Amino acid sequence: MKKIHVLGIIFIAVAIAAILTTLSKPFTSTYASFAEAASETGREFHVVGKLNKDKKQIYEPKVNPNLFTFYMVDNKGAECEVILHKNKPQDFERSEQIVLIGKMQNQVFEASDILMKCPSKYNDGKPTAEK
Amino acid sequence: MEYIGEHLGIGKVGNIFVILSFVFALFASVSYFFAAKDNDDSASWKRIARIAFRIHGFAVFGIVCTMFAMLYNHYFEYEYVWHHSNKEMPIRYILSCFWEGQEGSFLLWTFWHVVIGLVLQRTAKKWESPVMATISLVQVFLASMLLGITIFNYHLGSNPFTVLLRDNPDFANIPLLTDFELIDGHKINNYISKIDGRGLNPLLQNYWMTIHPPTLFLGFALTVVPFAYAIAGLWKRDLTEWLKPALPWTFAGVTVLGVGVLMGGAWAYEALSFGGFWAWDPVENASLVPWLTLVGTAHLMLINRNKGQSLFITFGFAILTFILILYSTYLTRSGILGETSVHSFPTAGMSGQLLAYLLCFLIMGIVLLIINWKNFPKQTEEEGLWSREFWMLVGAIVLLVSSFQIIFYTSIPVWNKLFGMNKAPLKEVVKFYNDWQLPFAFITTLLIAVGQFFKYKNTDLKVFFKKIALSFIVSMALTIFMIYILNFTNTYYSILLFSSIFAAVANFDYMIRVLGGKIKKAGASIAHIGFALVLLGALISTSKKDIISKNTSGKDLKGLGETFSNDDNILLTKGDTLNMGKYSVTYIGKRKEGINIYFDVNYFTKDETGKLTKEFSLAPLVQTNPRMGNIAEPDTRHFATYDVYTHVTYADLDFKEPQKDNKDEYDEAKKYTINKGDTIFASNAIVIFDSLSTNLDKTKYQLKDSDIVVLAHLRVLDIEKKYEATPAYIIRKNEIQKEESKVDELGLKFVFSKINTENGKIDISLQEKKSNARDFIVMQAMIFPYINILWIGCIIMAIGTILAIVERLKKVS
Repeated sequence: MKKIHVLGIIFIAVAIAAILTTLSKPFTSTYASFAEAASETGREFHVVGKLNKDKKQIYEPKVNPNLFTFYMVDNKGAECEVILHKNKPQDFERSEQIVLIGKMQNQVFEASDILMKCPSKYNDGKPTAEK
Repeated sequence: MEYIGEHLGIGKVGNIFVILSFVFALFASVSYFFAAKDNDDSASWKRIARIAFRIHGFAVFGIVCTMFAMLYNHYFEYEYVWHHSNKEMPIRYILSCFWEGQEGSFLLWTFWHVVIGLVLQRTAKKWESPVMATISLVQVFLASMLLGITIFNYHLGSNPFTVLLRDNPDFANIPLLTDFELIDGHKINNYISKIDGRGLNPLLQNYWMTIHPPTLFLGFALTVVPFAYAIAGLWKRDLTEWLKPALPWTFAGVTVLGVGVLMGGAWAYEALSFGGFWAWDPVENASLVPWLTLVGTAHLMLINRNKGQSLFITFGFAILTFILILYSTYLTRSGILGETSVHSFPTAGMSGQLLAYLLCFLIMGIVLLIINWKNFPKQTEEEGLWSREFWMLVGAIVLLVSSFQIIFYTSIPVWNKLFGMNKAPLKEVVKFYNDWQLPFAFITTLLIAVGQFFKYKNTDLKVFFKKIALSFIVSMALTIFMIYILNFTNTYYSILLFSSIFAAVANFDYMIRVLGGKIKKAGASIAHIGFALVLLGALISTSKKDIISKNTSGKDLKGLGETFSNDDNILLTKGDTLNMGKYSVTYIGKRKEGINIYFDVNYFTKDETGKLTKEFSLAPLVQTNPRMGNIAEPDTRHFATYDVYTHVTYADLDFKEPQKDNKDEYDEAKKYTINKGDTIFASNAIVIFDSLSTNLDKTKYQLKDSDIVVLAHLRVLDIEKKYEATPAYIIRKNEIQKEESKVDELGLKFVFSKINTENGKIDISLQEKKSNARDFIVMQAMIFPYINILWIGCIIMAIGTILAIVERLKKVS
């Protein structure tokens, strides 16, 4: 066997390992609803939804700057209390869509990170007259 | 209705340039194609092609100038100008406005191709026609992105000169565009005199954003040259001659793309808030991966210049690199990344067009490779195991595997779409990539260290070990020293620390002892030292990053879940001093300058006696932008051996009137209806309602036996201590009396105002002293040790590759 073939085989083996880790459960998260996240507590999920603006949001930085609780409605319409273990993001109320990353525990979604899509940031914002 | 004040003429001019650029790119491509065919007409075709490409170039310059004129003059009647700029914005950011949108950034890319094409016309000699045929074809695709015409219901490109704001269906009914005055029976609308633009994304209002995109796009553009040469080589059945003229271009691509990628890192570090220079974000990955394969290409081309081996793989790499550039473009601009990236472009409906662009050149490359399969020289002898070319080939393959892993994981959104999955990258994606890439980085640095000590064909191992021994021993000593001073505990990181140091030291040794310190000849060694330092700086600054704002009070918030230790933020109240790492940090206050609100934070050090000495101040800021949302920008203090990074994550942006002598007054009461076990949040404490009780010392409250008293037991917890508050609810005959309870240390006052008999809940009203409402910020502070090694490495790498280009150019001419 030529050396180049050995290299080729090693290359293919490592590439397959890379493919497997990309497609296998422990190395990826999954987009899910709150219900699906609840069916597998302890596993990391991405939940997409909208902030429920009518329910209370609690952020008391003087008590704990790394704790923010609010309610989110997922894309299937289910609502869940969310505990975000981070600061409350600036402009949180303006978010149009939220992606939470975290785990479901005791009927509460414990989020370790949050991504927000603000409507005005990229595409919205209508022309206005100059002030 | 008649709109007055619009400047529609300039748009027509721009549109003419757009059409010219497309038509003449096509014309140049076709005529270069015929010029490249060896027949009697080729010389005249070449003459025509040259002129056509120059007209195309002129048109592209024309588009650029027209666009700048429109931005400079604030012609908001054009959607692009309205979308990406406004009147308040400083004029120095006009460049950022230019390439903020899809159209502008395509234009930037097209522009660099024109510049490269004009240089090739003068220098490529016999390769000019076949190489330029490919480049012109690339230009046809790029120019089509700006066409903005509809053919058979398919919308081709997006034209910044023909898309008017008032044509946007979303804005059709807004009063600004529909209101009119009747003058002499004409409906007149004068929105132009009133309108302002939407403005530039505040993240891009940064000096890095004026230099990073053009550098990166020049890097992207340069990858077309080895690609076009490789295609030309296959086409003209001349499989080795192209290597020599293409090599300096490939090195130039390595330099510029490498610097461009790291500039993106510098921008992220200086202006973004994720606390680092590299987050393995899809957009970052998409530009890193072609750089890795381009480096592989350059090295394979070197082997072939010298030995003529593994030629087929060299072609594969040159083609793959350009395809990866197109794939990056597809990833970041088709909108497929969706939520997974912070800085991908929004969709502009070009997904199909981008895919066509990608597939056209992919198929072209593959077909040409297959057709020529038989023409590749059969390799009669294998590379020797101890030859330089063999280990360079190994290095290139390591880079390829590394690239493959990165791009495959980054492409999760693509796999989702193709296979109907719904996967997402892990939260700990940085760790995932780091774990995967660490072995590749280790092998690569090891190969960099030993590579030049191997000779082409075969190496006498005895001589090799003798030569490398010194570097090995010096590196070992340095590594042990570094492990000691940096307190490195992770074995894998320590191994990479060694191999990076070894790479830098061995190449330095090679430069001094073997090349006799001749800088001009030492381009490769210097570039390798630079690369090793980049890795070394990245390794140390990332693995020893110290988040000094971590909440160390150890406060246990019962029942609130402690599953995550995401406590990187700390609260600083104005005037208070907190210990963070070796510093004591004070928040002084905020100030407003223009659209920015600065938060002044002073850093002190404490000596043995406890005396504070001010070391420096940092002013992280929030850029207020009512249209696009506020953006927080960190501030970093740079020292020779470390950086102190400070970032405000949450703050009150309102400026309240300063309070006068009313510190002891209480603010308005807040009412809470709570059950047993519920929690109330005060601004400085949490309050838990434990129980109710009725038996108490009635004499204390001067009560009669007939009075009914209910006490609420409230547990009040702040960071350090636990307090108790017991407000009383007294029913005396028909009168209700409320006995308040205070926690003076915290400035809190509780009143038990009601018992809800139907559900057993009680009403507690809470008042806080006005002095409690002091201004505060929530911030993060981190120390990045030795991050300067990374930036210095980047500069050294650039210098090294430039020296190598100069050397190669001498050989070409």
